[in-house]
Amino acid sequence: MQPLKPNEQQAILENQPNAQPEDVEEYERLLSQRFTVDPDAAPNRAPGVAAEVGEDSEARIAELHQKLYGRVRSLVESESR
Amino acid sequence: MALTFREIRPGAPKSNPFTIAIVANPVLEAPWNSGAVIADPIMGSLPIFQAAAAYIDSSLFGGLPGQREAVLADPTIATAIRVVSLFDDTLPVVLGNALAAQDGSSFTLVARRSGFRAFLAQYPQFHIQTDVVYAVSASPTHTRASAWFTSDDDAQPGVPFTLDGNAFLHRFYNLIPGTIAIPANSTSLTAIHEFGHAISSYTNGAIVDLYVDSNPGLNNKRGRPIPAVFANYSGTTLASDLTRDGLGYPGSWSSYHCELVDPTCPAVMDNYWLSRSGSVTCQHDRITRQYILDRVRAKAGRP
Repeated sequence: MQPLKPNEQQAILENQPNAQPEDVEEYERLLSQRFTVDPDAAPNRAPGVAAEVGEDSEARIAELHQKLYGRVRSLVESESR
Repeated sequence: MALTFREIRPGAPKSNPFTIAIVANPVLEAPWNSGAVIADPIMGSLPIFQAAAAYIDSSLFGGLPGQREAVLADPTIATAIRVVSLFDDTLPVVLGNALAAQDGSSFTLVARRSGFRAFLAQYPQFHIQTDVVYAVSASPTHTRASAWFTSDDDAQPGVPFTLDGNAFLHRFYNLIPGTIAIPANSTSLTAIHEFGHAISSYTNGAIVDLYVDSNPGLNNKRGRPIPAVFANYSGTTLASDLTRDGLGYPGSWSSYHCELVDPTCPAVMDNYWLSRSGSVTCQHDRITRQYILDRVRAKAGRP
């Protein structure tokens, strides 16, 4: 997954007062981890890739996305209407 | 309305050359896994797609201004690689033509990996049997690229290699090619960063992101203290990167990486935007570069 540019990470923290650098770190880690499991053969993980993926992980990604981008997401959605 | 096919690089004169396809994404699933679809704006923009295809090809072969990483330009494989591009704006807006999706929980484009083979089978006249495929999108909201590893056909032969004494194979064929969803306006090393993921394998070596505290993969291990030796790859001992360029490993991390080809820049699979000498100057770490070279060489040499 394409990494965030430094100014993108800075913008998140400036736009979302409740967001912490650790939230960004966790969000990026979980998003990246999503792609390490074959979605068409779930039990067939790459060697050494552990299991912190799946529905719990997706729920946490969604929760963090709201925390990090909530206001931005609302703007995007209202502009597309 | 037209179908535009280009063979950017012909590759080896054989029926099954190693092939990279760059496809204009006809339809976006929005959001991902919803079944809802919209036309991808790239369909109205052949020149933008062609510029994106030219960028991807340049990035893959080290042709960007100032670029130093050029693993596919290695003389042992460069001329064996076929690169094609496909733009078809005659297709209906249906889920079967959606090669990329907009993630509902991020601004990431996600490749709909299981649909690529059937999609490309619509064009038998072009003989597109791919190893890695890019779906290029002009989504106005989702501006980050992502990739899925290749699902190898582990019932088929390949070229053996070892990693820390364990046996693996660079398989000749795949069940699902490495798939990438990429914005049309991507720049710098994004195309080869995603290629690094896509050419790797769920069962024979996974190349993971190095800018987060990733789980283990070919290019990432976990543990403290960081050992001097990172890995033994097919008889070659490779050192660990003790300092992660000048970026340093955050104190909360357990990950550590392989030695860098250029220790003054982050690895391509790390956050190349943080390079002090410009993002395009980053190169792969040693194990990633050798693995990609060996894997492409194996596939290019398949019978």
